[in-house]
Amino acid sequence: MTIRAENISKRYFRKTGQANYFEAVKPLSLTLEEGAVTVLMGRSGGGKTTLLHMLSGLLTPTGGKVWLGDTDLYALPDARLSRLRGEKIGVVPQGRSAIDTLTVLENVLLPGRLCGQPKSRETALQWLDTLEIGHLAEARPAALSGGELRRMAIARALIQEPQILLADEPTGDLDDASTHLALSLLQKAAHEGGKTVFLVTHENDARDYADRLYRMDDGALR
Amino acid sequence: MNAFSLAIKNLIRKPGRTAALTLLTAFLALSVFGGSLVVGSLRRGLGSLESRLGADIIVLPASAQSKVSFEKLLLQGTTGAFYMDASSLESVREVAGVEVAAPQTFLASLKADCCAVKVQVIGMDPATDFVVQPWIAQSYGRQLTYMDVAVGCKVEADVGETLRIYDENCHVVARLAPTGTGLDTAVYCSMDTMNHLLAAAEAKGVSHKITTDSEDTISAIYVKVKDGYDIDQVNSRLNGHVRKATAVRTRSMLTQVSDSLAGVSRTVSLLIAAVWVLSLIILLIAFAMMAAERRREFAVLRLIGTSRRGLCRLILTESGLCSLAGGLIGIGAAAAVVFPFTTLIETQLGLPYLTPDAKTMALLAAATLVLTVGIGALASGWSALRLSRVDPGATLREGA
Amino acid sequence: MKKKLFSPLIFVLALVVAVGSQTFLSPCVHEDGSFGSCHWAGQALLGVGLLLAALALLSWVRTDVYLAILPAALLGCLTPGTLIPLCKMSAMRCRAVMQPAMILLCGLIALLALAGFIVNRKRAQ
Repeated sequence: MTIRAENISKRYFRKTGQANYFEAVKPLSLTLEEGAVTVLMGRSGGGKTTLLHMLSGLLTPTGGKVWLGDTDLYALPDARLSRLRGEKIGVVPQGRSAIDTLTVLENVLLPGRLCGQPKSRETALQWLDTLEIGHLAEARPAALSGGELRRMAIARALIQEPQILLADEPTGDLDDASTHLALSLLQKAAHEGGKTVFLVTHENDARDYADRLYRMDDGALR
Repeated sequence: MNAFSLAIKNLIRKPGRTAALTLLTAFLALSVFGGSLVVGSLRRGLGSLESRLGADIIVLPASAQSKVSFEKLLLQGTTGAFYMDASSLESVREVAGVEVAAPQTFLASLKADCCAVKVQVIGMDPATDFVVQPWIAQSYGRQLTYMDVAVGCKVEADVGETLRIYDENCHVVARLAPTGTGLDTAVYCSMDTMNHLLAAAEAKGVSHKITTDSEDTISAIYVKVKDGYDIDQVNSRLNGHVRKATAVRTRSMLTQVSDSLAGVSRTVSLLIAAVWVLSLIILLIAFAMMAAERRREFAVLRLIGTSRRGLCRLILTESGLCSLAGGLIGIGAAAAVVFPFTTLIETQLGLPYLTPDAKTMALLAAATLVLTVGIGALASGWSALRLSRVDPGATLREGA
Repeated sequence: MKKKLFSPLIFVLALVVAVGSQTFLSPCVHEDGSFGSCHWAGQALLGVGLLLAALALLSWVRTDVYLAILPAALLGCLTPGTLIPLCKMSAMRCRAVMQPAMILLCGLIALLALAGFIVNRKRAQ
């Protein structure tokens, strides 16, 4: 399944020098192919995260459309868009994204249970083992380090086997070995699983995993 | 794990947050239920007083104290001893418009050997009485005979026991239904028993005679006015005709009570309203703060596929469970405080106070619960709505 | 740390029973200085209160003692009125104040002791 962005842009209202808005993403078009890893690099504050959120159905663009296959994402009512997000789109957001009241294992199982496609405990434990945090399954997120939380978020996205995987700085807090592990898992999902994978990162190592590489600065693709 | 069990886990694993919300709503339920219970009891007390004062006019001795003393007897259960000549009864009956005139005689017992207070003994004439006898009939099918007494519900003597009054043995044949008034602390007997007790009191040096030569004395005359006669006119005619006595309309006595009841009930209602508004504000702030603290958590839930409605449902479930638990705790606590201390509240208020029946109380409790859960839903629903309007992407960018 | 919460609470409530029975929750006081049986109910409650306080201290050391608090608290509930008769009028202080307050306090103590026992048994398992 491909994601196609058509002239999308995002403005935030904010007092800047002359204008009273700030253009985080200038109108751009982009297609993410299935079976390929698309990597977006660039300096922080360049609009990468905003673009990723718009592509994943989390942020309504100011202008333009986002097509998932032949569905216009933002024309859907909230209930259907949310359902689609739960079933077809896996997102690894930036920063901490765990539900603090649940254990690591419960966090990983949560998306499937919420959208009515529960995965088994064993599957979840396998994913945690693959990402080398199996021993933390029963721990609460508060006891985890940033890197461990990041790997939990990756496991939570991968376990649902979504057709689209979008990851925002997935290797942010990871050491070299873990970075390699995480990136190769995402690459495997694209090449062997036929998923559409989109990575936002400033990690230079990510170049090695990219099938397509974009740079973004000041809200524009280069 | 559906939204419900997620809500349960959120509640159990954040016990501090849950306890705070629960206590807050418990306090709200406590004040609402406790307050309305007191007001309800006062209302029922007034109703009960009204039905127990089944007379239109009461004739009392003309002394300045007798009316005050009679009211205190009625409301607070203190003893009263005031007398007039029995011939007043005949004078009352001579007045046009008087249908029935029923005398009562009061006698305050000496400190009974059981307790520190005196007991009020009220003697009535079984032939004419229309005030006490219907009440006695509720719990005792026969008339009181010589040396039989019926006791108010607050006199802790069981049927079959013997009460010693002025060293005379009186047999308790009935315990009367509660009225919530001072009448509950009195002991009732027929006139022949009363005359015997008066004589016994006389022997002990407690005099009740107005003059040495008067044969019989009575304390109050309950008057029922004939249909078609204006009660006020009969009242003033009685005041003109009966010497050394004052006729008082029971209505005016009741009005005084209902006025002070209205005062208490207004105060309590104001308090409840204040607590209600305050709780709403505190809960609104609490939920807004909680929502701010949990913005990221909610955004993550949206990220993994929770819809706006799903998120609102989660928040409402959490707050609903908290306020339900809080409501039940508050109602329980109010019941644990108000019911055992009914007598204390009654004596402190000095107003007729009769706990509502089970059905009314169940309704009150249910209404309190609905109110508490409703206010919780209102306060959290506002936050939930605000939260769900925000694009999760916008929240996730913040402080990532 | 939670298991230590119940003993102090019970101790404080037990002291309220003991001290209250002689002061603000005392039975009827007659003007002439004489007293009825409710006075002895107050004296008995002083003893029950002190017993409960001692048991609360012991429960701090040995949690099994929580169970022993239950019958002692029941004794506290039954003492005024059931075991030792009170005055013959409900409006009297011993019936309007002392009895309900003591039943409430002892009932609360029993609930806390039961909760303490259950919490500690769960912990031990």
